[in-house]
Amino acid sequence: MIRRLLSRNPDVERLDTEGLRTEFKARYYAFKLLLNANNRALEIMADMEEALKGTRPFGMNFVSSRCTSVSASVWQMIRHLNELSPGNYEALYNRFKEIRKKINPFVKDRGRLREGPLVLILDQVERTMADLVGGKIANLAEIKNRIHLKISDGFVITACGYQRFMSYNDLQPEIDRRIQTTDIQALDELFGLSASLQQLIIGSSIPRDLEEAIQEQYGLLEEREGRGITVAMRSSALGEDAAGISFAGQYRSELNVSKENILQAYKEVVASKFSLPAMSYRLNRGIRDEDVVMCVGCLRMADAVSGGVIYSRNPVNIRDDALLINSVWGLPKSVVDGNTTPDLIWISGAEPMEIKHKEIAFKERKFVCYPDEGVCRMDLSGEDGAKESLSDEQALELADMARRLETHYGCPQDIEWALDGDGSFVILQCRPLVQASAGDFPDLMNVWEGESVLIKGGTLASPGLGSGPVFVLKKDMDVMKFPDGAVLVAAQALPRWATLLNKASAVVTEQGSIAGHLANVAREFSVPALFGVQKAMERLQNGRIITVDADGGRIFDGRVEGFLEKTVRPKNLMLGSPVYEALKGAARHIVPLTLLDPDKTSFRPGNCETFHDITRFCHEKSVHEMFRFGKDHQFPERSGKQLFVNIPMNWWILNLDDGFREEVEGKYVRLENIVSIPMLALWKGITAFPWEGPPPVDGKGLMSVMFEATRNTALVPGMRSRYADRNYFMISKNYCSLNSRFGFHLSIIETLVSERVTENYIRFQFKGGAADDQRRNKRVLFLMEILEGYGFGVEVKDDFLMAGLEDQPKENMEKSLRILGYLIIHTRQLDVIMGNDQKVRYYRSKINESIDEILSVQ
Amino acid sequence: MHNIKVLLVDDEREFSETLIKRMKKRNVDITGVRGGEEALQTLDQSPIDVVILDVRMPGMDGIETLRALKKRHPLIEVIMLTGHASVEVAVQGMEFGAFDYLMKPMQIDDLLYKIQDAHQQKIIQEQKIDNIKRMTSGRE
Repeated sequence: MIRRLLSRNPDVERLDTEGLRTEFKARYYAFKLLLNANNRALEIMADMEEALKGTRPFGMNFVSSRCTSVSASVWQMIRHLNELSPGNYEALYNRFKEIRKKINPFVKDRGRLREGPLVLILDQVERTMADLVGGKIANLAEIKNRIHLKISDGFVITACGYQRFMSYNDLQPEIDRRIQTTDIQALDELFGLSASLQQLIIGSSIPRDLEEAIQEQYGLLEEREGRGITVAMRSSALGEDAAGISFAGQYRSELNVSKENILQAYKEVVASKFSLPAMSYRLNRGIRDEDVVMCVGCLRMADAVSGGVIYSRNPVNIRDDALLINSVWGLPKSVVDGNTTPDLIWISGAEPMEIKHKEIAFKERKFVCYPDEGVCRMDLSGEDGAKESLSDEQALELADMARRLETHYGCPQDIEWALDGDGSFVILQCRPLVQASAGDFPDLMNVWEGESVLIKGGTLASPGLGSGPVFVLKKDMDVMKFPDGAVLVAAQALPRWATLLNKASAVVTEQGSIAGHLANVAREFSVPALFGVQKAMERLQNGRIITVDADGGRIFDGRVEGFLEKTVRPKNLMLGSPVYEALKGAARHIVPLTLLDPDKTSFRPGNCETFHDITRFCHEKSVHEMFRFGKDHQFPERSGKQLFVNIPMNWWILNLDDGFREEVEGKYVRLENIVSIPMLALWKGITAFPWEGPPPVDGKGLMSVMFEATRNTALVPGMRSRYADRNYFMISKNYCSLNSRFGFHLSIIETLVSERVTENYIRFQFKGGAADDQRRNKRVLFLMEILEGYGFGVEVKDDFLMAGLEDQPKENMEKSLRILGYLIIHTRQLDVIMGNDQKVRYYRSKINESIDEILSVQ
Repeated sequence: MHNIKVLLVDDEREFSETLIKRMKKRNVDITGVRGGEEALQTLDQSPIDVVILDVRMPGMDGIETLRALKKRHPLIEVIMLTGHASVEVAVQGMEFGAFDYLMKPMQIDDLLYKIQDAHQQKIIQEQKIDNIKRMTSGRE
């Protein structure tokens, strides 16, 4: 019964006054909700445009939540417009549907299910299987099967295994939900999210079939390598290469895992997909979470006499072909984790290879395997720590292997290695090396002679110059407090500091190596880094401004001007990334405005190309429908009234709801009867000073007006539009729109002012003038400067200006409206003096003085 | 706000409890249930103005609940509030008569405004129906 009543189109003609009032109220309410939705849609579009500048990181959740919000808002606008005029705008639903279809591919889940084995023995892996086993494992298998270098035997838990695990526990939707409900730009929230997601994964169970497959493979490995052997569980993620990078180095490896703990270690490696560094890395690089699939290699654990990383080229100078070895005692873990300063061995690139330079460090500790499981850290005594961890012969043998790998892959390589007990080398991983360009500041050394050097020394880990206040990291929680633009100072170059690389202006550590994860990521993000700076923690105090010259190995006191400007700005890593492209693709059907001129016949639903077009169309038509109602229905209470202030004025007012103190029967409404907050504020500005009439026109200005009048038929009397020189207010207590034409100038103001701060807005459009294009355009720029000075966001195109102000408390909104009211009266016809700079200055200062006066009045 | 009766339907305990606590501090007359079936039972027994409805719930999901709810109580306004951004579901929800589709996390004040707006909408719909009833009875 109720449904039937509601769906029936009320017979408006028959309504009595009471009925008309209700009907009008309902219409106003629909209009108000339409405006709300319009406002929200425009805010989201602005948000998307801002993100498309690519200067701040965002994730897929940003893309899908913005697309969802904007869709909901646009759909609501269509619904409300159809409520205002039932049956007349149904076509919009179809346009909406079609545009939505175009947006869908960019936001839809693309998690395609793969068919294939859950686990795979390394012997069966080929290079082409990277999307099944991840790049790292595919490379290792290639090294063994094609290049015939030694790697550890083992198997891999594949992308299919990962999918099986994730879907068995229905993890993805829950992960998505947790990501969406977190403000991931805030580091402390990201920290909490990272912990909760990792716990979620570690707390999930492994499906029986996957468990059996893993156990079976381990059994086979035992048969080949010996009973009870331990394994290293290494992440081999896929999906990161989508952004043009081969490896982020942010995931976990579990070393020396025994049979009983393989499943637990598997979950831990998978969970490291959501470690804090990995999440912030993806966020900064625009990599979609869903694209990252964790394959896990399960390789026989090799205990190492020594280990490290070799680069087949100089990582910090693209023009240098020397090889660089980082070597420590024991497992290479401490090189990668950056907590020990390794031996550095430089080997000339030209044949025959020879050792060019060695820096043997004092290696404070080493990592070795416990017999049963786990890795232990051993402090090294004086003699052992000081000894070189690799002989010259061994170094050259390693260099030769590196060159073979480089030749095979056709580009510089970054290779992790271990020296086995039997004296042979085992390749643990191999990936393309990202070389940073250096030497952009050739005469730096000389020019900076005069500056005060605080510290000299340290090893270049990532080239460049950076300056900012020191921030010393002592414990994990310090990460939360790290200020934007500070210099990161820490004892060790730990991978987890990588989370801060989008904020840090430079990195200084006491220990760490050029081959560690932190150095890798620093180079990727173009953040200068200097490692091995002795006593940095002691010598650099929090808050002190320093300048770090990573290439020169120097730290200066204060900010060294003159050169910092020339430093390479941090790379813009969002541009071109998968997440960025998804937003760009979707935004193409949302943000652009193609439906411009409401006076043209092309202003039709069928011509709405984007969501923005639909909002524009709905907004325009809703205003039109609101005007029409009072007229169409002979409903004097709700038709336009002429404003009466001593005499009838050229201002017309339509009360939408509660804009009048009491209902008005006759033709006129007195100002005292108006209670619309925004209208009264505008009115104060409009009437603050009497208009002095058009400015005195010089010969050129006058000519320009006359010329324009012959061209523009809209300016010829008798041909003006029906709104000419009439100013319409539509008001309620909190809402006001003003359409005004003063001569040749058209301005539209729409504003909502209430206690709901987040819904408050002012939108102002201005167009036209009597003078020629050039003067009109100049006048618009003149207005723009003034408005920007008072906090408006302004956009200008030719002689058309759009300005906006949002989310300010009521008092500020009222002040801004007073300014606008003043401006629309006193800047009209100023276009004619825009050719004269002196006059422009005169009016500019006069306007500023007047506005100050207006604002000082309570 | 205390004159608006709100029902929160969300299976996520922690979120529900926090939201209810915060709403009560703002004088909102709000109760919570954990799922769609329970929501429908509550609505049959006590008058509710505005329902805040989660989309993803075990058992009867948000969209199913919305359809059943709107069939039985067309005047109750429903605000969908979800942690799962989906254009499809948003549009579906609105087509089935949801007042709005909001995404977590959201400002508590914005949600309050939405509840007020939805309530206002309900009052207007009721007035319209009264009018129509008055007109039809006058004609007979």
